[in-house]
Amino acid sequence: MRLRGLLWFNAVFFIMPVALLASAVVEGRVELSKSHSAPVQAKRYEIVTKGGVLSTQPPLAVVYLDGASPRPASPATKEVAQKDLTFIPALLPIQVGTRVEFPNLDDTYHNIFSYSPAKRFDLGRYRPEERPIPTQVFDKLGLVTLRCDIHDHMRGLILVLNTPYFVMTDTDGHFRLSGLPAGRYTLKAWIDSRTTREKPVELKNGQTLHIDFP
Amino acid sequence: MRSAVQARDESVGSFRTRLFIAIMVIVATLTALGFYLAQRKVTADAERNLQANFQAEISALHKLEELRHAALAERCDVLAAKPRIHAAIEDNAIDLLYPSAKDELRDLMEGDEPPPEQAAQSLHARFYRFLDSAGMVIRPPNPNDVGELDQKTEAQLNLSSLPYTQQIGYIRETTETGRGTIDEVIAVPIFSSDTGDVISVLVIGFKPLELEEKHSGVGMRSGVWVNGQLHLPSLPISAQESLNEQIASAVATSDREQNNFRVNLDGAPQLLFYKRLNPGSLFPAAYEICVYPLAYSMAELHRLRWQIGGAGALLLLGGFIASHVVALRFSAPVKKLALDSEENRAQRKRAEAALASTTEELERSTRYSADASHQLKSPVTVLRVGLEKLLTREGFKSDVYEELSALLHQTHRLTGVIDDLLLLSRVDAGHLQIASNPVNLSQLVDQWLDDLSALPDSPDVKIEKELTAGLFVAGEKRYTSLIVQNLLENARKYNRAGGLIRVSAHGNGRNVVLSIGNTGRTIPAGENIFERFHHRSTPSAASGHGIGLNLARELARLHGGDLCLVRSENDWTEFEVRFPAADGVNAVA
Repeated sequence: MRLRGLLWFNAVFFIMPVALLASAVVEGRVELSKSHSAPVQAKRYEIVTKGGVLSTQPPLAVVYLDGASPRPASPATKEVAQKDLTFIPALLPIQVGTRVEFPNLDDTYHNIFSYSPAKRFDLGRYRPEERPIPTQVFDKLGLVTLRCDIHDHMRGLILVLNTPYFVMTDTDGHFRLSGLPAGRYTLKAWIDSRTTREKPVELKNGQTLHIDFP
Repeated sequence: MRSAVQARDESVGSFRTRLFIAIMVIVATLTALGFYLAQRKVTADAERNLQANFQAEISALHKLEELRHAALAERCDVLAAKPRIHAAIEDNAIDLLYPSAKDELRDLMEGDEPPPEQAAQSLHARFYRFLDSAGMVIRPPNPNDVGELDQKTEAQLNLSSLPYTQQIGYIRETTETGRGTIDEVIAVPIFSSDTGDVISVLVIGFKPLELEEKHSGVGMRSGVWVNGQLHLPSLPISAQESLNEQIASAVATSDREQNNFRVNLDGAPQLLFYKRLNPGSLFPAAYEICVYPLAYSMAELHRLRWQIGGAGALLLLGGFIASHVVALRFSAPVKKLALDSEENRAQRKRAEAALASTTEELERSTRYSADASHQLKSPVTVLRVGLEKLLTREGFKSDVYEELSALLHQTHRLTGVIDDLLLLSRVDAGHLQIASNPVNLSQLVDQWLDDLSALPDSPDVKIEKELTAGLFVAGEKRYTSLIVQNLLENARKYNRAGGLIRVSAHGNGRNVVLSIGNTGRTIPAGENIFERFHHRSTPSAASGHGIGLNLARELARLHGGDLCLVRSENDWTEFEVRFPAADGVNAVA
C-alpha cells in the first residue's frame, strides 16, 4: 500500500519534472508591418482591410508551431464578444476543434455570420440577454472572417490552427512560446491574411531557441 | 438712202431682241434661284422638324434612362453596403452572392411587366448579373431567379474592366421568332465600403425599348443599331440589312456621335438619323436609329416647285411684254440717236476731207516754196556774178555804174528773200532743228546797230540803247541774229526822218526780253502784219517782201520764245521779242 502510494507519488513526482525539463522554448521577434497610425495605449485593436488584405491595427502577429498537433483532451471554449460594435478580441487564434462563444455585450442586435471557406455560419439576429450564447465549433483549418449583417463595418478574424502551440506577439513583435515538444517542426508567423512567414526549427528539451522573423 | 433706213430699222430690231434676251436671262436666273432657295428651305425645314422630333424621341429615352439610373444608383448603394454581398465577393463565396442579393433585388424581378408608359416608375428588370473582378459574368446558381439568358446573350454582358461609373449598354437577344430583341442594360459598380475599390458590377437588363407607338403619326420608325446590327422590327429583314451597311459606313467615317443622311427604302426617300445612345460606355457602341419618310416634304417641295415655276413663267411673260414696251420706248430715242450720229458722221467726214485738202495744200505750198527757192537761187547767183563782172569793167558811163550797182543791190535783196523763203519752208516742214547754245544777245544787238548805222541809205535817225551787258539767251546764234536783224531793219526802214529807234533788253531770270521801238507811221489796228506775204495797206517808200516778220516770229517761237507787237500808236511802234535765258550764264542779270 505504501509502496503503491510511493509509486504513484514517485510516478507523479518523476513525470512532472521530466515534463517540465523536457519542454523547449522559442522566443524572438517578428518584424511587423509599420503602423501608420499613432501608437495606441489601449489594448484594443481592430481588423483593417487594405487592398483586400486583412490585418490587425495596430499590427500584431500570431506565431505557431506547425505540425505538432496532439488532439486536445477536452475541447476548449474560447470567446469572441461584441462590445461597442467591435469584436473583442479582433483576432483570435484557436486550435482546430475549438468551440467559440459569441456573446453580445452591446445594447443592440448583432447578426454574426461568415462566408469564409474555412467556416460558413450564420448566427442570426440575437439580443444581449439571449441564452444560450450562440457558439460555433471551428473544425477546419484556415482564416475565418467574422462579419455582422447589421453593422457592415464590423470585422473579426479567427485563425484556426492545427496546433495547440501558438502565441500572439506584443505590439513590438516580441513573442515567447514555451512548453514545446522536442522535434523538427516549422515555426510560422501569421502577419496578415496574405502573409505567413515560416522557418524550420529543431527543438531540444530544455533548450531556448531564438528565432527572428525578418 | 433706202438701205440706210433699212439698216437703222434692223439695228433697232436687234436692240429689242437683245433687251428681251437680257430680261429673259434675268427672269430665268431669278426663277432658278427661287427654285434653289425654296428647295433648300424645304429640305432644311424638313430636316429641322425631323431633327426636333428625333431629339424629342431621344430625350424621352434619356428621361427613362435617367429615372432608371437614379433608382438603380440608390439601390446599388444599399446593395453595396450589404455585408453579405461584401462577404460573398471578398471572402470568395461567389455561390452565396446571388442568394445574398436575391432579397434586395427581388422586387426588380417580380410582378408582371408594366405597360410601357409606366416602365420608368416600376423599374421592372428582365435579368441581372454580377461581374467578377475581371469583368466576367458570375454565373448564377439558379438562373431562374435572376432572369434566364442564353450563353451568347450572357457573354455580351462581359466588360473589359470594372467601371467606376454607371455604364449603359444594349444587347441583342435572339428570340424564337429569329428577329431578336434589344435589351437595355445598365452596369452599376459596387464599391467596397472598406477600401472604396470597385469589387463587383451589377448589370441589370431591362425590357426592350418600345418607342414607335407614340410617334406613328409621322410615319417614323425607330430602332437600335448595336454591335454592327440594326434592330428595327418594323422593317423587313432585307431592308434592315441594306440599311445596316450604310449605317456602319456612316458611323465608321464620321466622328460625330449624331448625324443624318438620306436613304432609299423601297424606292421612297427617307431621312435617317442616328445618335450614340451610350457615349463613352465600355459596352459596344449603340445608336438610336430613326427613319423618317420624306414623302411629305417631297410633296411640299413638289407643290412649291409648281408655284415657283408658275411665278417664273408669269414673270417671263411680263418680261416679254415689258421688253416690248421698253424696246419701243427706248427705240425712239435710239432711232433719233442713230439719225444724229449719221449726220455727225457726215459732218465729220466733210471736215476731215477739208482738213486733208488743207494739209495737202500746205504741204504743196511748202514744197513749192522750197523748190522755188532752189530754182531761184542759181539764176540770181548767175545774175549777180554777171553784174559784178560788169562793174569791174571800165569804159561805161558813170550812170551805168550806178545802175549796175543798184541792180547788184537788188540781186542781194533777192538772195535774202530766197534765203528767207528757204528757211521758212524748212520751218513749215518742221525740218528746222534749233540748237540750244548760249548766245550773247547784247553783243549781237551791238553788232547789228553798228551795221545799221553803217548802211548807206540810212535815214537820219537817232538810236537809243538800253542794254545790260552780257545778256545770254538759249538758242542758235544764226537764227537769233536773223530775228534781231529783221526787227532792227524794220525799225529803220519804217522810220521817219529825224526819228528815233530805241533798243532795250533786260532779263528776268527765265527769259530775256528785247524791245525795239521806232517812230514813224503806225500800223493800223486790225492789220495782221505777221501774216506771210503781208503787204501794208498803206503803201510807202519802204517796202518789204512780206515774210520777214513772219519768219522772225516763227524762229522766235521755235526757240521757245515769242515775238509780238506791243504797241503802235502816236508815232510809236514797238515790238517785243522774248527769248529763253541761257541757263546759268546770265544769272547776274
